[in-house]
Amino acid sequence: MDKTWEVDDANTVKAHFGAFGKKIVTVNGNEVHRSRSMGGKKPIVFSLPDGRGGAIALRPNFMGAPSVDLRLDGHLMVETGKAPITCGECASVAKPYDRFCGKCGKPMPSAEDYELRKNVKSATGAIKVLAVLFVIAGIAFFFLAKAKTDAALVQLDGMDAAAVYPVPIEGQNYTVGELRKQIAWEPWGVLVVNLILALIMVGLSLWARRSALPAVLIATATYVVVLVADGIADPRTLAQGWLIKIIIIAFLIKGIKAALALRTARA
Amino acid sequence: MPEAGEQCPACGRRVRGGTQFCPGCGQTLAAKPGSEPSPVAARTPQGRRFAQHWEELKRVFWVFGLLLATSLVFGIASRSARMPWMDLAEAAVDASIVFVAVALRFRKLAFLFQLRPIELRESAVLVGISFLFVVLASAYFWTLEHAGVPMGSTSGALREAGWPTWAIFLIVSVAPAIIEELAFRGVIQSSLERVFNARDAWLIQAALFSVLHLSPLIFPSHFLMGLCFGYMRRRSRSIYPGMLLHACWNALVVLEELPG
Repeated sequence: MDKTWEVDDANTVKAHFGAFGKKIVTVNGNEVHRSRSMGGKKPIVFSLPDGRGGAIALRPNFMGAPSVDLRLDGHLMVETGKAPITCGECASVAKPYDRFCGKCGKPMPSAEDYELRKNVKSATGAIKVLAVLFVIAGIAFFFLAKAKTDAALVQLDGMDAAAVYPVPIEGQNYTVGELRKQIAWEPWGVLVVNLILALIMVGLSLWARRSALPAVLIATATYVVVLVADGIADPRTLAQGWLIKIIIIAFLIKGIKAALALRTARA
Repeated sequence: MPEAGEQCPACGRRVRGGTQFCPGCGQTLAAKPGSEPSPVAARTPQGRRFAQHWEELKRVFWVFGLLLATSLVFGIASRSARMPWMDLAEAAVDASIVFVAVALRFRKLAFLFQLRPIELRESAVLVGISFLFVVLASAYFWTLEHAGVPMGSTSGALREAGWPTWAIFLIVSVAPAIIEELAFRGVIQSSLERVFNARDAWLIQAALFSVLHLSPLIFPSHFLMGLCFGYMRRRSRSIYPGMLLHACWNALVVLEELPG
């Protein structure tokens, strides 16, 4: 993993994280740090030629590779990405260390803003993942439910539709006709419900492009409600897949906080 | 406009050619230093505003989360058999949550409870919205029913237990209208309006209202309800018109379910 930070007109910091804990830091092409240690959590401390103190730290994430932060005299620096940084107002190209756009004078996002944007992006990514999961779950559960309900309908064949089914279901009595209707609807119900949820998530992910906070807020509420509704239908589901559920909710809540912080900063 | 390599007169940073503002301090480079305020000065501290907005969102999470937790607990408890007392207990717990939330914010919500005269034009608009809502919601449920979707009964358990009709109307029609309007159009919409613009707050409360009913099949109809009641609250600056329409709609549903 290689990272680059152009910290001003004269200085560029590069960090290389190799296999087996290899860490190399260079400033303007000169090596200032080389080490090999596994799981070291201490930041790599070094100095720039002008005397400013730098520190590179690894920050673990929920999922995937850890984030790498560079701080100069305690201030977080914007990483130099592959794509050039552009002003959100006038789209002119800027340097990562510019605090203001040279063309229109609008403030450029800070490193903290980029971090918040990343969290919002993760949350909107989670909404898209949920949309795909609802489609997959809908199709899978449709076929599973269909196999079960077809077998149940065969058992009801030959019974009088007006007769009351002898065994109460979840405390309620049904006629055979009502029961047949309920059973026939069940797989379609599962499919329709999941497709509605997938559509909601697709709609929210589109809305999130324009206005992230309301979209992520509603997606979080919808997802939690789905978990609760599943829990009421079958309490065993509350404990199933709890880790992935917590990760999704954590991504969404982090996204809400980040979107709120960005919104407040823009106001 | 400065030449490449010139320095900013305010901060001394060397600027690139063609720039009109210093990328370091935001100083206008065409003018003399100090002649125009730097954008830095226009920036206000956002920490306090973020904390206020986060507090408002946390209030929404608390009310919504507690109502959802009540649904979960009572939903699991009444899985084996639907008991009317369970519905009553759930309504009582929901009412306690909502009344506490309203009491904690009463000063800021007081305007919603004031009775004020409504102009003829205003009342005509509210009646028009109510009519449109009843038509659209009825059409949606009619479509579901004719598509073969089994619809649950809201008053079935109470009727089977032999409860009097007035009690059924009170529990199924009036109580939810009061509790839900206070929760969603009262506490939640008001808190959201402090974070978002009025339109976004209106949409979010409607979405939260619809999802709290726990059935994706009725999300569209209840989203419409949330929009309608929320619009009435915005337009009239009162909680009562929405509450009245909500209670009437619930009463219509009960009336349809009553035998004969």
